Amino acid sequence: MCGDGEAITIWRGTLAYTKVRRMTRENDTTHFGFRTVQAAEKASLVRGVFDSVAPRYDLMNDLMSGGVHRIWKDTFVSWLDPRPGRAYLDVAGGTGDIAFRILESAERCASVLRGDGLVPGTHVTVCDINKEMLAVGRDRALDKGRIQGMSWTCGDAEALPLPDRSVDAYTIAFGLRNVTRIDQALAEARRVLKPGGRFLCLEFSTVVLPVLDRLYDIYSFKVLPAMGRYVARDEEAYRYLAESIRKFPPQDELIARMEAQGLRQCKYRNLSGGIAAMHSGWRL
Amino acid sequence: MTEGSSRPTDPKLLELLVAPGSHNTLRYDAEAQELIDDRGGLAFPIRDGIPIMLIDEARALDEGEARKV
Repeated sequence: MCGDGEAITIWRGTLAYTKVRRMTRENDTTHFGFRTVQAAEKASLVRGVFDSVAPRYDLMNDLMSGGVHRIWKDTFVSWLDPRPGRAYLDVAGGTGDIAFRILESAERCASVLRGDGLVPGTHVTVCDINKEMLAVGRDRALDKGRIQGMSWTCGDAEALPLPDRSVDAYTIAFGLRNVTRIDQALAEARRVLKPGGRFLCLEFSTVVLPVLDRLYDIYSFKVLPAMGRYVARDEEAYRYLAESIRKFPPQDELIARMEAQGLRQCKYRNLSGGIAAMHSGWRL
Repeated sequence: MTEGSSRPTDPKLLELLVAPGSHNTLRYDAEAQELIDDRGGLAFPIRDGIPIMLIDEARALDEGEARKV
């Protein structure tokens, strides 16, 4: 286990906020990349990473993935198959990437149904623990002229500020990896879903193709931190990214953990040979 | 942007939110720009139009500040 001193030297400036979260026992530990840290510490460490990269987050995503993250997100939302008039919750989606896609897709569906695209009631609530990311998303919504159909709130995936059985679908894209207690986040997802509602997660996963896995390792541990250094000016943040990806449960383990929290008919689909995977489950 | 700035607060969201953890209903204090959980004794700030629904960042209500529920 690493001491607080080390965390502070690595993540200088990000630990101003160190209050122990109420629901966390102090002796709980979790992963922060390859380091084992106090569970109470991880949330603020993760926040530090995203505060530091928020302004260049999208640029970095494009650079790191060669634009492929856009295709993954499109594929993710098409598996969700949004319909007009439903209530969606997108967790950890601060910059609005998934939320905008859900609304656009629901509107296309509505325009087929009604011819004008104007079916009232489709709503996406974006909930992110990071205020900087939300500010980026909300400003983007204003730029796009989207005033209705979206709400922005700061909240924790492990203690969502929404009532039981209140949403038709819960999405989390590249967010579950950063949550301190994944099982608690899955339990919260199930809680806020209406019966018949769907959970859908997009996350980096475990590469299942030979050769590709080797290349991917070189890319993650050599190329990515270098890009982080030059583009986002934060090498450590991108080293954390690569490490946290390797620590995240592989496809089948995540399925088992979803089922343990009461999600049903769980299945996954790999993207790009398992570099990412989509996991789907239902509250029945 | 400063706290409690003039960005309009999303009415749909105010209707939707509950206190994290307890799921208590919330009362909107437009003047203070806070969402108040009377039962739990917490006030969640709204900053730049975005409700901050984190227990760590909530303000504990003073004695007598909470309304009877």
